[in-house]
Amino acid sequence: MEAAIQSYWPTLVRWSLVGGALGAMMYLLNTGLQRIGVKRDIARGYAFVLPWIFGFLIFSLYPFFYSFYLSFTEYNIFQPPRWIGLDNYVRMFTSDRNFWPSLRLTMLYAFFNVPLGMIGALGVALLLNRNVRAIGFWRTLYYLPAVLPAAAVALLWRWMFSPSSGLINFFLQPFYALFNMQPLAWFTDPNLVLPAYVIMGMWGVFGANAVILLAGLKNIPRALYEAAQIDGAGTWAQFRFVTIPMLSPTLFYTLVTGIIGALQIFTQAFFITTPQRAGQFLNVLIYQEAFAFRHMGYASAMAWFLLAVILALTLLVIRSSALWVYYESEKG
Amino acid sequence: MAATPAVAAEKSMSGARVRTPRMRMRQMLDRVLTYALLIFFSLFVLIPFAYMISTSLKTEDQLFIWPIRWIPDPIAWSNYPQAFIELSRIAPNLTFWRILANTLFITLLAMTAELIAVSLVAYGFARFQFPLRNTLFIILLSTMMLPGIVTLIPTFLIWRNLQLINTYDPLVTGIWLGGGAWAVFLLRQFLLTIPRDFEEAAYIDGANVLQVFVIIMLPLIKPALLALAVLIFQGNWNNFMGPLIYLNSVDKFPMVMALKFFQESLSKEAPKWHYMMAMSTVMAAPLLLLYFMAQRYFIEGLTIGGVKG
Repeated sequence: MEAAIQSYWPTLVRWSLVGGALGAMMYLLNTGLQRIGVKRDIARGYAFVLPWIFGFLIFSLYPFFYSFYLSFTEYNIFQPPRWIGLDNYVRMFTSDRNFWPSLRLTMLYAFFNVPLGMIGALGVALLLNRNVRAIGFWRTLYYLPAVLPAAAVALLWRWMFSPSSGLINFFLQPFYALFNMQPLAWFTDPNLVLPAYVIMGMWGVFGANAVILLAGLKNIPRALYEAAQIDGAGTWAQFRFVTIPMLSPTLFYTLVTGIIGALQIFTQAFFITTPQRAGQFLNVLIYQEAFAFRHMGYASAMAWFLLAVILALTLLVIRSSALWVYYESEKG
Repeated sequence: MAATPAVAAEKSMSGARVRTPRMRMRQMLDRVLTYALLIFFSLFVLIPFAYMISTSLKTEDQLFIWPIRWIPDPIAWSNYPQAFIELSRIAPNLTFWRILANTLFITLLAMTAELIAVSLVAYGFARFQFPLRNTLFIILLSTMMLPGIVTLIPTFLIWRNLQLINTYDPLVTGIWLGGGAWAVFLLRQFLLTIPRDFEEAAYIDGANVLQVFVIIMLPLIKPALLALAVLIFQGNWNNFMGPLIYLNSVDKFPMVMALKFFQESLSKEAPKWHYMMAMSTVMAAPLLLLYFMAQRYFIEGLTIGGVKG
């Protein structure tokens, strides 16, 4: 325990000092600004957002530009960065054999995981919205996987998908016997990694999305359905012309956060290594380049490429949202 | 108003009593189908979960028995202590209590810092008019889209230059400044729904801005703070990338790193699933407990961003 306390103590001191210093700076900024004649509201406003401004400058803005710079250099931490122009990007797109399979795996994972997860979540949310009894119980149950640590989820599914003795292959045994085939190897088979990951990802996320969508469904005024019924709308028409448009902002939210999250899958991908031929998830690939091989410049280039992909997809979804997302406040 | 079948069905569901036996039949069927589907989906949720707990209580030879013994016989409660004993055989200082202390140290310090910082910043954005406020807020929102991996390398270099690698500082001290943008956003949305009357009354009574914030505001935003607290607790308890990058010595590992360490060193050749499931269950247990106790807050925190944003 002695050793433990020795590793906590200095951090605890620094943690308290930084917190205290920040408070003192906020106080000084507020009184200082007011003393030089700045309006009270303005002085207080800047003082309150000061922690974020520091954080933004130090942990977002500076790293953002510095990693952009690093992406044009060769940098192994021990020697200063060396400018190599576009070499990192050229290498990434032309000669790195790991890059394209990894990009493909990551994109395909997002492509399947997000829509399938949303459809499943929407299905459950619609069921729960039908005046179900003990709704709290069901909601608790469905949200359960989202509470579990990603690491535990990854290990659990690795065990479930274990080729020789996992639960899934036990269930599939009659099927294998019928078609006289070898048990599937799931996470260790380059062709089955993706479906296995998608199933695991759905398990983790669909309950959480169902809870969000359910809250969205509950916000739709009943009067809209009644009006639609008077106009003779059946169940399908009500779903298509009332539920979907009214729910579209919530669907939009889950879609955007889903895409951003799926492209950045890390913990699960780190606990379940994928076979070489299938590629790796981009975040893991970047981590390894940076911290296992010390290719900080090259890793930065890949991180920037991932950023570009995420931005492009997000902008695409936002652009398309004009066509399918309905905001009440805009139209009426 | 001509009662079409659909209207009548809806009416009977919402209380007006116009029922024919056929419609009652249909409704029954409808109910049964709804619950059947709910149960079907919940099996998808529950079976893996049950498998985790069941595996964690099996002796090694029971792992591979078919048909599956959902309730192990004998029940190997000893897996739980044994998993950690195995672990401390290769890392003598990494006992269960040490791992727990490490995890709690990281989680509680990070959570405290983030809650304080985030509530101050959100209050600033929600209540005061200052130049560039909206621009700054849009910048804050756009940082949510920035992948952590982009800023990770320079951030790592900052901590390296401060010679704080292999300390807990990158995981807890930096939080004072790096409060999550989504948390600020969520809290600001909540603050905007609270009328200013209480604050104004307090100012008239001569309170200063800090007093107003602590004595008037904090109690009013308590539900949102609790919702944030559980989500932030969960996030830090589970955080893997941070400890992976910043902590080198085994003694300092939190639970998630201990799990990874076990997997890599003791479970590489012949996976000891019963031990790993026991450790996973131990890691999940506090979160599950928190979830069952403070479920409302989990769900509130989750939905406020998606529905009211």
